[in-house]
Parts: sequence; C-alpha cells; structure tokens
Amino acid sequence: MIPTEDQSADEVGADLVVVTCSVNGESARVSVPPHRTLMDALRNELGLTGTKTCCAEGECGACTVIVDGATVNSCLMLAAEAEGCDILTVEGLGAGEPGGLCDLQESFLEAGAVQCGFCIPGQVMAAEYLLRTNPDPSVDEIREGMSGNLCRCAGYQRIVAAVELTARKRATR
Amino acid sequence: MIEQHGSEREALRTVGAPIRRYGGAARVSGQQDFLADLPFPDAAAVALVTLPVACATVTGIDGKRAMEMPGVIAVVSAADLPQPVPRFGISHQDRPVLADGEVLFHGEPVAAVVAETLDQAEAGAREVEVAFEERPGVYNVDQALATGAPLVRDPSRRPEDDENRDSNVLETALYEWGDTTAAAGEAAVIVENTYTFPMVTHFPIEPGGTVAVPTDAGGLDIYSPVQHPYLLQRTIATVTGLPLSQVRVFAPDPGGGFGGKQTPRLEPLLAFLALQTGRPCRLVLSLEQTFQMMRRAACRVKARTGFADDGALIFHELHCDFLIGAYADVAPRVMTKGSYVGAGPYRIPHARTASRAVMSNTTPSTAFRGFGAPQVAWATESQLDAGARALGLDGLQIRRRNLVNVGEAFFRGPYEATADGHWHEALEKAAELIGWGQPLAPGRGRGIAVAIKPGATSGLSQSLVRFLADGSAIAYAGTSDMGQGARTLWQQILADELGSPLDKIRVVSGDTGVVPFDLQTSASRSTVFMGNAVLEACRDIRKRVLALFAESTGVDEAMLSEAPGVLITPDGELSLLEASRIALGALGGEFVGQGTARMRGRKGHPLGGDAAFYEFNCTAIEVEVDVETGELLLHRHVSVSDVGTELNPIQVTSQDEGASIMGLGHSQMEQLLLDDHGVIRNLGALDYRIPTFKDVPVELITHGIENHDGPGPYGSKGISEGALLCTAGALGSAVSDAIGIPIRDLPLTPERVWTALHPDAADHPGGEEPA
Amino acid sequence: MRYYRPATTAQAVAALASQPHTSRILVGGTDLLVAVRHRSAQPTLVVDIKGVRDLTAPISVDEQGITFGPTATMGDVIAHPTVREWFPALVEAAGLVGSVAIRNRASLIANSANGSPAADTSPPLVSFNASVTITSVSGERTSLLREFFLAPRRTLCEPGEMVTSLRVPRPSPGSSSAFERMTRRRGVDLATCSVGAVVDADGAMTVGLGALGPTTLLGGPVAPIDLTSQEQLERAVDALLAPATPIGDIRAGKAYRTAMARVLARRAVLRAAARRTDPDRLTGRSS
Repeated sequence: MIPTEDQSADEVGADLVVVTCSVNGESARVSVPPHRTLMDALRNELGLTGTKTCCAEGECGACTVIVDGATVNSCLMLAAEAEGCDILTVEGLGAGEPGGLCDLQESFLEAGAVQCGFCIPGQVMAAEYLLRTNPDPSVDEIREGMSGNLCRCAGYQRIVAAVELTARKRATR
Repeated sequence: MIEQHGSEREALRTVGAPIRRYGGAARVSGQQDFLADLPFPDAAAVALVTLPVACATVTGIDGKRAMEMPGVIAVVSAADLPQPVPRFGISHQDRPVLADGEVLFHGEPVAAVVAETLDQAEAGAREVEVAFEERPGVYNVDQALATGAPLVRDPSRRPEDDENRDSNVLETALYEWGDTTAAAGEAAVIVENTYTFPMVTHFPIEPGGTVAVPTDAGGLDIYSPVQHPYLLQRTIATVTGLPLSQVRVFAPDPGGGFGGKQTPRLEPLLAFLALQTGRPCRLVLSLEQTFQMMRRAACRVKARTGFADDGALIFHELHCDFLIGAYADVAPRVMTKGSYVGAGPYRIPHARTASRAVMSNTTPSTAFRGFGAPQVAWATESQLDAGARALGLDGLQIRRRNLVNVGEAFFRGPYEATADGHWHEALEKAAELIGWGQPLAPGRGRGIAVAIKPGATSGLSQSLVRFLADGSAIAYAGTSDMGQGARTLWQQILADELGSPLDKIRVVSGDTGVVPFDLQTSASRSTVFMGNAVLEACRDIRKRVLALFAESTGVDEAMLSEAPGVLITPDGELSLLEASRIALGALGGEFVGQGTARMRGRKGHPLGGDAAFYEFNCTAIEVEVDVETGELLLHRHVSVSDVGTELNPIQVTSQDEGASIMGLGHSQMEQLLLDDHGVIRNLGALDYRIPTFKDVPVELITHGIENHDGPGPYGSKGISEGALLCTAGALGSAVSDAIGIPIRDLPLTPERVWTALHPDAADHPGGEEPA
Repeated sequence: MRYYRPATTAQAVAALASQPHTSRILVGGTDLLVAVRHRSAQPTLVVDIKGVRDLTAPISVDEQGITFGPTATMGDVIAHPTVREWFPALVEAAGLVGSVAIRNRASLIANSANGSPAADTSPPLVSFNASVTITSVSGERTSLLREFFLAPRRTLCEPGEMVTSLRVPRPSPGSSSAFERMTRRRGVDLATCSVGAVVDADGAMTVGLGALGPTTLLGGPVAPIDLTSQEQLERAVDALLAPATPIGDIRAGKAYRTAMARVLARRAVLRAAARRTDPDRLTGRSS
C-alpha cells in the first residue's frame, strides 16, 4: 500500500473499497473493486438498474445521474469517488410523487418523448439538471443542454417539447 | 388478403387519439427491465475472444492458461462444439456458432470464456492464445469484385450448380421490363452516374445481449431482446437438436432495434455454453460489439437514365452492388427487396435493375430500417434531379411528371405492382410545407425526393384476447415493442372493440411459452398483421358473448347484434361487460377470442408475394451551405408519408421524426471506416457519429396523408420506415441546389461538401486515407 | 488497480513517486476512465486528488492574472465572471468540451495537461501565454504551456509528477480573443482542428493551433495589419499558420484540415479583433 494514513482504501482488504454515500436520500454502503464505475455499482451492487449502460465512455448519456447537484456520466466516475456524495438516480426522481412520477417524467409521457425508452432515464436526469440550472430554457438552450444524451429513436423533438412543457408547468406552480 | 375494416372507424373512441405509450411510466421511471437489467444471481459471465484482424486462418487455440485463471469455468472454441460445427441462418445456413478454423470479419468470436464474474471472464479471455495467419481480405465492392479477388467463401462450401461460386457474388436479382437498350434512342437526355452509400451501423442505445439458462427438464430458456422470438426459438432448437417445446424464448423489449435485432447471432453460442457448463450463461454486449454484429449493407449503384424533353422517364437502368459482409444473414433479401423498388414510384416504360449481393470480410449486414430501399433510392432520386437539371426542370416538376397515380403500375410485368395510395397528395403537401418555389436566401438550396418500400410480402400473426369477468382484458400478441409502440395500439383496439377502459388492459408479449406465434416484428408489418389479428380476436369475443348471451337468456340469436363495446338486444344496448356478466351467469369465467392474420406468398413472385402495402414518403429539405467549411445547416426538413389512418397520431409523429433524423445520420455523418486489415477504425461512440439534439434541423415538420385506404385496422398502413427512405436524396438535391454541384457519395460530411467545392484539392477525405 | 484519495499534496506526490510509471492522477476521470476502459491506460494506482486540502484553489484572480487549480472544471471556467471577461476564447473552448455532464466533471488542467493535440482548451491557453506548475516529491517547477507539450500525449510532466496549477496572465488592456473549432457534426464532437486567437489593442495577433500538429502550437505573433484588406489578412494567416503541420486521420484528410485551419484562423482573428471594441461576450459560432 502507498504511504498513507487514509484507512478507507484498505478497510475490507486490499482489493475492495468501501464507499458510503447517499443514494436517492437513503444512506448506502457498498464494497467494490477500485476500478468499478459508479454506473456499475449503482446497477449491480445497489440494483438501481434505471441507470443504463450504452457506450460506457461518456458519449451517450444513458448513465447520467446527478451527483452533488450536477449531472455526471456515471460510467466516467469511479464508485470510490462517490464517498460522501449525494447521488440522485432516475429511481429517486419521482419517489414520493403521486403515481411515482415527477412533473418532468409526466411531461415526457404527455409529449410522446418515450419510444424504446432505453435512453430515457438518462434524458430525464439531464433534463432535470437543465431545468434546475435554467428554469426557462430556449429551444437552442435545451438542444445544447441535452446534446450529451443520444436517442437513436431520435425522439429529440418530443423530448424538447417535454422539457418546454415542464418549464411551463413549473413556472405556474 | 387481409380484410378491410375502414367503415367502422367512426365508432371508435381511443383509436385516432394521442394515447400515452403503453409501458411508458416504467420507462421514464427506470423500472422497465431490459435484458441487462434482469437479475440472474447464479449466472456465469461470458467473454468473447476475437482477433485484431478481419480475415485469418486460425491454426490453434490454447485455453490452458485461461483455464488456470481464477473463476474460469470453461474455455470453449469450435473444437468443443458438435462436429461439424453447427451453422445457422435464414436463407443460407452459413454462420458457424463459433469461428470454425477461419475468421471472416473483425469481431467474429473464435472462443468464449465462461467465468464466475465478468472481470474474471474478461481476464480469462485475454489469456486465451490464438495462433492465426492473416489472409488478404476484401473490404469494399471494388476489392470484392476484382479479378482474382480473395474469396470470402470457399467454393467448396457453395452448391456445385451455383454459377457464382468462384466469385464473391452470393446472389443476384434482375428486374426488367421494356427494352432499355432500344429505348435509349427515344431519350432527349441521358444521364449516367455512379452513387455510393456507406456501411452504417444500427447503434441501438441498448447494446443487448443474451442469457441462456439450462432448465431442469434438459431444455433451455433463452433471454434475448430480439425482434423475432419465434425465429430464435426455432434456430436454437435446430442447432441444439432440442424440440421446440424445450426451448422457451423470453424477449425483453429491445432498447431500439431498427432491424438489427431480428436474426440470431450469438444466441446459439450462449445456448451451447449453457448446455456444456450447466450454468446460466450471460453475455451483455458492449456498444462496440454491436457494431460487429449488425450493420446496413453499403451499396454502389451505377445508373443510366433517359428522359423525354418534357421530363418523362423513358428508361432507367440500375446496377446495384450491395456489400453484404461475411455471412448471408438476411442480406440477399435486402438486396432483392431494395432493388425491387429501386426504380422508384415512377411511370417507366423501360426499366432494368440488375443487382448483386457481394460478400466481403466485414460485419454481416442485416435488416436496417428501409431494408435496401434507401441505398437505391439515393441513386434513383439523384438521377431524377440530374435529368431535371439537364432539361431545365426543377425537382418538383420532374416528380410530378413521373410519379404514378393510384392504381398505376410502377413495377411492370406479370407480377406488376401498383400505387396503393394517393402519392401525389404527399408530394404536393411536402412541396407546400417546404415552400417550394419561394425565393431562397443566398447560400441556400432546396431539394425534394420521394421513395417507396414494400411492406411484408407474407406473414402470419396470431393473437389471443381474454375478456375477464370485471371487464378488464389481456391481449397476447407476440410483436416485440422496440419503441414503435405496438402495445399501445393493441391496447387502443381492445379498448374500442371491447369497451374496456385503457388502464384495465394488459398486453403480454415476449415469451414464446405463453404467447401465440407471430412470424416477426419487421417491415413495419405489425400494425397491419398483428393489428388485424388483435382486432379479429376482439370481434371473436363479441360473437362469443352474443352466442352465450342468447343461450343463457333464451333470446333468439337473430334478435341480437354486436358493435364495438356493446351488445344490442331487443331491450336496448348493453355494454359488453354487462352482457358478458349476464351471459356467464353464476359460474363466471371469461371469454377468450382468437385472431389470425395470414398472408400467403404468391408463387413465382420475385419477392415471394405481393407487398401487403407500400410505404410512400416525400421528403423536402432547405439547407444552408457554409461554402468555406462545407458545413450544412438544415433550416427546414419536411417529411410527408402516406399513412392510411393514424391510429395514434403522436406515435406516428415520433416514428416519422425519428426516421427523418436517422436518415440524416447516413446522409450527413455516419459511416464505418475500415483499415487495411478490415478492422473498424471508428469502433465505438467516440468516432462513429450519430445525430444529436443539435443536429436536428432548425424546423422539422412531419405530416401524414390519411385516406383510410390501408389493409390494417381502420384503414391503417405500416409507417415506421418511410421517413428515411429518401432523406439522402432530398438532402443531396438541396445541397446541389445550393452549391451548383451534385455530390454522389454519402455521407455529405462537411469535408465531402467542401471537397466537391474544391475539386482541385486532390486528397483522401478523412477516414479514407489509411492510418 | 488501487484507488487512493490523499488529503495533502505531499501525500499525493509521494503516492505517485511510489509507482511513478503506473500511477495516474484522477480528477474528472473523463479522460482517464475512457483510457482504462480501452486498456490504453492500465494504472496500478489511481490517485484521486479531489480531497487534497492544500491544493491550489479552483480559480483565484489577482491583478496580474488568474490561477487555476487542478479541480477547476470546465463548468467552473465557463461560469466565472472574470474568466469570461478576460479570456472569452477559453470560455468558448471550455464550452465545447464534451457535453454538460462532461463539463461538470472535466478538469481544465487535465484537459490541457494530458497533452492531446486536439484538446480544446490548449489553443487558447497557449495563445494566452499560460504556464503550468509541476510538482513532485523533489519540489516544484514551472513551464510555459507551449514548451510543456513535447509530442502527442507526452509532456514535461514526468512519471511521479503532477501539474498542480495553471497560471494565465491577464491579457493586455484592449486586447481580446476568440476560439473557432471544426467538427464532424454540430453536437458534441472532438475537434477536427481548432484555433484560438488573441488580438492585442494595437492589432498584433497570436494564435494557438489545435489538432494541426503533434502538439498544440503557437502561431505568431504577427504584426498589426489592416483587417479590411483581404490580401493582408491572408498573409497574416499564412504567418500565423506557419508552424502548422496538418495530417490526414480518421477525422479529416490533410487537404481539408489544411484548408479549415485557414478558415478558422481568419474567423478567429476577425472575431477577436471585433470583440476588442464590441465585447459581444461569448457569441461564438452558432454550432
């Protein structure tokens, strides 16, 4: 082991890192190999399979989650880096809402933005972050803000409509 | 042929409305289980061993070191499979379960490692030693057709009476009417050009995968997000020798298919791994691996076309070479079907389309939205524009002049095919929406194009519907819902025909163990085929309710009649639920209806049968070209399709917008690039570019022409492919209108457009220069 | 692979020194984890410095310039008012790196200090005469960024060392800058080539060139010209692009890349020059 007083890296043996963080408002603790990405840890260790895997190199956005208030490609973050972080996944977005869906998720359905649905959890997370940072985005701003999330069904127009719809709903709330 | 149901549409309540997607809530909340999300706690992980070249003789595979690695359960190569190594395929049973002594394309697996964890399987796979000798391969049409070209398939593997067995040509097609040679003399203008369409890959956001689970009874459960579960079931049964009853396919919804998840590829391997190890075996593909499993055939088209001086087509000749890859898959069918409509929806007195499916040492090509039609339409539409330019006409004028009217033949001869819709309406609507003829800003151009695609030419879809005691209902329909929203339509049909509330209707699919047979989810067939089967099942239920009501109440059957959602009695109308309660009486129970949509082929027909319907689309684009950089900015993109009836308008819009943008992918940016060893250079999302939010045209407008004239429920037609058939033609036309120079090779990357503007700057465009 | 999250710079460099050839610094991970996935990097030790307490602050401004620490993300750079005022070209470049989610994580220093010739932020930083501080167990040294780059993905940062700060001197009064980039599609993409231009108050011009040579290159300075003269502008562009040695690769052929370098240089210079009197802020190319 490297010269360090940090015990956490060795807590459960040389090959595993113990990570304690908050996921969707609940405390979570996992032991993972150091190379395990947050994406894989969420999916495999925590069973939160709403976060999807496609390119696994930060190009498609299917694995987008919100970490400490900002979107992250969870394929490009080690689970170990999540120590102490506050993580929001798609499963946490509508928790506590009637029907289990938040206004944004409702808007996706209303606007017809969902086709095969595989990219949708990532799209929803990216859209949620966009609206938190820019509550009244223009079409260009939506396209820019969402451009890291690929949709091969190419429901882009419908997703833009869903984001606009949500912005309107939130403005009158 | 399929029964028409157009007249009853007025009575409908949910059909025609933008009903929310069935299963949508699960998809937006992350609860939808795709293949990779299914828990298999006992599953062993599988990793594949591949070579860093596309074409090689494999001289030895040594798995000893790999077997000694922690967690490794098995290392399997062709030698460990039944001998001869089983091969499978649709028209040609040519694809081995694992590479058998030779590798024919980059990514073809030579061995598989099964281990307790994925990390261990991957580590094991790196330790498998493969001795191989690279062989010269053929990676493009020119190489494959060159004299003395290395043969992808050894002649000994081909029938002795196959006249092409000493070449890389796997199959040919010839469609011909009139006499194009003699007709050349009649033409005022003849244009002759060569067009190319690149290899592109499906890039489903769900890469997919397979889990094979050995059952206690000695059979197999196969989980795979396939479009054709019943084909997979048959394939697994055939290669393993198991009876169909011992092979159960679970098909979780594909996270995007687009044709790429139709045919079996690695499932037979997983089946053998599960049988050999006795363990559930799980393989989830990477996106890179999907690039090596599916793609669209590249195509080179040599075209020669003659026009009268008023723009009328005199003759049209096409030579199409589809670069299909290392195994047949469904590519020969793509070639024949795409070529069948290659001459376009036009009135052509003399036509000749000669096509070849050419093998190459590249990923086997397969079905991909449009199924061969976009490749040839690119050439034909560009030729129409070339003719128009030569004659001083515009793109709209020349298409008005030549587009067939309803009922008129565009394919002539004993198996003639005629327009099954009012296609001129779509052409005129698109022209109106794009503002055809209005003044253009400097640097801009406009283009318009049309194309058709045959729907399914035969088919069988069966459905069961259960109408339960409380008025809720379950439809069993084997269509794979891969984003098109098929289940939403079944739900709507049940709601309207049975009077059940939408939220009390469930649709079951994706399990060959409980859902009746459906041939396949392809060719935009499901709305028509499965739709009619579901509709028939609903009507079957109404007839059964009527009959039992008569029996239970003693009312004469002749005094009763039924209509959507109701039973009509001499005492007035009863809801179907009320009527069924009375009919069922104290015992309760339920009604089960059955529906079948069967379309037989036609003997001798070059496609095996007449198409159930044609998808017709007209696309028009206004583009601005940055002449300094070659960049395109699409200001407006209009897509108008002949849809029959929109059963769910928002789903039609989604399909049309999605196909339009996907069409821009192969038109503007997508292409698989290979190096000298046939290795895919842009393997993965980093350098294989598909359209993003920011690549969507400034304005994208889609429109459906509804004449309620389709063979599906309530006059519907299949619609899922139309909007990408002629995207390339429309964009190419717009670009050439803007810059005054036609470009004949796709995609129209900034570099390619710039190069067209600077023909003197002799150079290889990006990616075409070996690294 | 081991993961280590040191609390001090001393711990971090000591860890690097323990496995100098196989250890890697982790900040945003947007580059490193892609390399790990493709096994083009196989570190035995990953040193996550985001918890280092004595690290240079992400962004600190003084009269003479701005100092960036390793944890300054693209998002931080884009949002910072002084960075926006002083270094519009850097803000434009940072805004084109990846997607929003990437920019939320990607480190400015890592983007540049990785030594990729296509890195978006390097051309403006080179044109701004930025310098880096390199730290190891044996101490610190500084280098001009343009001298820091040695070859594709090879820099002065030796095994066991890390870049701990990036200093960008305040631009001279009345100057301005702009960044131009070519890509294959409008959405998120890697640069085919890029140019960051600085035009001084007197009209003197400097450019940083991305993906136009084995490393990010500095072009100029070129003496002031009459920008309305097409002929003078073309000559100036010739001079600014003199160091460029474009090649053909998967993203573009040589002829196209060469031609685009000219277009981008011209556009960047003109936009930077115009911005001196009309600070249009960050109205970049509409892409």
